[in-house]
Amino acid sequence: MCRALAAVGRPPHEIAFVSGIGCSSRIPGYSTAYGFNTVHGRALPIAQGIKMANPELLVLVAGGDGDGFSIGGGHIPHAVRRNLDLTYLVMDNHIYGLTKGQLSPTTHRGAKTASSSFGSFEQPVNPLLYMLAYGAGFVAQGVPGDINGLASLIEEAIRYPGFAYVNIQSPCVTFGEEADQAKAQRLAMRPLADEGHDPGDRLRAMDLARGYGEVLHTGVFYRNPEPPPVWEGRIRELQEAAL
Amino acid sequence: MVSDLIIGMAGSGGDGIVSAGDALIATAAEAGYYAMLTKSFGSQIRGGESSCRLRVATGPVQNPGGVLAIAVALNWEDFGRFGLELPVGPRTLLIHEAKSGARPLNVRLAIAAPIEELSVSAAGTPRAKNSVVLGLLAGWAGFDAGRLLDRLRKKLGRKGEEVLAANERAFAAGLDFARGRPVSEEFRLGPPAADARPRVIRDGNEVCASAALFAGCQFFGGYPITPATEIMQILQKEIWKHGGALLQAEDEIAGIGAAIGASFAGKKAMTATSGPGLSLKTEMLGLASAAELPLVCVDVQRGGPSTGMPTKREQSDLFAAVFSAHGDSVRPVLAPTCVADTFTVTLDAFNIAEAYQTPVLVLSDQEIAQRKEAMDPLSTEGLKVVDRRRPTPEELQHYVRFAATDTGVSPISQPGMPGGAYLAAGIEHDESGAPSSSGQVHARMNDKRLRKLDPLKRRSDLFRVEGPDDATLGLIAWGSVAGICREALGLAAAEGLKVKLLVPRLLYPVAEEIFEAFFASLRTCLVVEQSQQGQFHRILRMWTEVPAEFFSLAESGANPITPADVLARLRAFSTHDSLPVQRLPQRPQADLVSRMR
Repeated sequence: MCRALAAVGRPPHEIAFVSGIGCSSRIPGYSTAYGFNTVHGRALPIAQGIKMANPELLVLVAGGDGDGFSIGGGHIPHAVRRNLDLTYLVMDNHIYGLTKGQLSPTTHRGAKTASSSFGSFEQPVNPLLYMLAYGAGFVAQGVPGDINGLASLIEEAIRYPGFAYVNIQSPCVTFGEEADQAKAQRLAMRPLADEGHDPGDRLRAMDLARGYGEVLHTGVFYRNPEPPPVWEGRIRELQEAAL
Repeated sequence: MVSDLIIGMAGSGGDGIVSAGDALIATAAEAGYYAMLTKSFGSQIRGGESSCRLRVATGPVQNPGGVLAIAVALNWEDFGRFGLELPVGPRTLLIHEAKSGARPLNVRLAIAAPIEELSVSAAGTPRAKNSVVLGLLAGWAGFDAGRLLDRLRKKLGRKGEEVLAANERAFAAGLDFARGRPVSEEFRLGPPAADARPRVIRDGNEVCASAALFAGCQFFGGYPITPATEIMQILQKEIWKHGGALLQAEDEIAGIGAAIGASFAGKKAMTATSGPGLSLKTEMLGLASAAELPLVCVDVQRGGPSTGMPTKREQSDLFAAVFSAHGDSVRPVLAPTCVADTFTVTLDAFNIAEAYQTPVLVLSDQEIAQRKEAMDPLSTEGLKVVDRRRPTPEELQHYVRFAATDTGVSPISQPGMPGGAYLAAGIEHDESGAPSSSGQVHARMNDKRLRKLDPLKRRSDLFRVEGPDDATLGLIAWGSVAGICREALGLAAAEGLKVKLLVPRLLYPVAEEIFEAFFASLRTCLVVEQSQQGQFHRILRMWTEVPAEFFSLAESGANPITPADVLARLRAFSTHDSLPVQRLPQRPQADLVSRMR
């Protein structure tokens, strides 16, 4: 995060860093930017209000898989389709860590957790496919074990002019499974660049995204080669037209 | 001739009853009368029953009034569905569709008018029934026929000459019918006051939106909900001109969330909703309290609980306004009493939100929001706009967002301001904004968030007292019911009853001292409101030392409370053997405060 922001080079006071509730949502408090640690699942609507009120700001949104895809799931398609220039980072650890290890929307089927003693019966959501299907202009996945790769993905997401999503396969060191830890991730990761994936190919990206939960692809799944106009641009037009 | 006339009309949706009401109020306003038009529907969008009540007078109109002077029934089924909303009495002129047959109602005079037949013969269609009705009212009630015809032309001009000519003939047929069968002068409106000027027509939602813009609102986040939607619809046309933006969000929560985000980003922000939306927004109200962010939330109350009655007036969201959101979260709650009042109260809400860095709830209601009033133009002279206290350059050297101050209000920065970066949070935090789970910090910050609102309790301008200071009978009313009590006060005074009335615009925090000063001379006090539980009555009992006899007149929504109802209660109080005047140390006994009917 720090490396990406350093590379982007905006002063901290021009950044609004918004989060929901969860372990990962503590992150704005660790930065020197303006932060807003809001309520569970609602970071995206609040971030959109900030961006609409002041389009000059760099607005980052962070949270976990539960915050984003469970309680906040209803806000995601709308944030995507409005296409404000926001960067949404989900630290996806497949578990509710802050409440000590319950089933999350991305927990794999059969997993025994504090709330699924007999194994999860539910099909996990696929955040990458969701984002691609909703029409997000930038979708990527990274792992903290590959710190340089992740930093450049975040940087690229911030630079993308529109709604950008980075799924960060983030190990929960307390409740996570062995296969999700950093060391295992480093061994398992399959950089998309090595496979010759063209990030401009949305259908191929969706095909690759189907491997979520089985294959640990890292890198940019999709970057819209012709980014559509952002909504805050329309706000300026309307305001100027009114004057 | 009379100086105050109440007309009620009902028919099926599509009969054009409501547009007839619109034409009448426009005509009355032009001629310099004051007027109030309330509409009532079934909650179907098309078809179903619809009705309106128009009260026209030479002086300001306080409320829609009680028993109708003139009732118009296009058919009995629809008329009957409105029950007590359209009451007739022994002094009513009842005009009904002839082909529906007569009903044995106890009225002064019933006229069977062949409304449909006149429409068909004059216009060739039953769809001009409302124009016939306007003709009848021009003939009997004294509305200016020329002005009404102008109105028809304005309204129907774009539908083509044929439609217009047909309606003009229908109007003439109605007028002729009325002239051929004169009725008593007691149903005819006298001339407007000698110095009458044309009045403007406004409704509460419209005035709320203009007040928000006047206050400097630059962001609205909301979701469509009856009867609050018009506020968003008006702002979406206007707010851009003021450098603002508007989001119709995916749900109520996102609507208020975006408004909180915009407030964090430094803009004055607002959301508007009705009961079910308020329920959804409550967690966000708590967040705005904890993060000390200014926000105005308008709740246009309707019948509850749950979906309730979306198109009917009720004042039953008071408990939700005061108590919802968990924890020791406190937010000011304000209520306008009429359309004009909605301007100052909405402006006050913004000013209070900004000055105290708090969410403020405005409890409007369906009637104020959607009724039209022909009134004097609003004046903004002398009105003040307050902005949030931003940090000085010195304070930004070592900025402490939630710094302890005497008032409890700390300077607030916003993203983009160098040196002002801080963490806003719903999680408990210390003065710097750093998260904390220390009991001492929590107590200190809780105290700060509560204490900063104390000065509001001394805002006597948010309370209006009418009537003699030493009266032993008292009335309290808030919201749209206040106008009913104001009229009842006049009626009581005319009968020689000594009564005073307190109308609070600030419902919460409860201004104990202002209420107790009002109570000091009272033996008996009656709180009048439109909710089943009598919610304000109960809130006053929680926070103040109420008079020995402290009664509630409370009606579930959609059931009219009339000045006559209030007057009847006041008469009963003035004659009964009551307890001697005393201040009870304990709360009164339950039977003393039970509902009286």
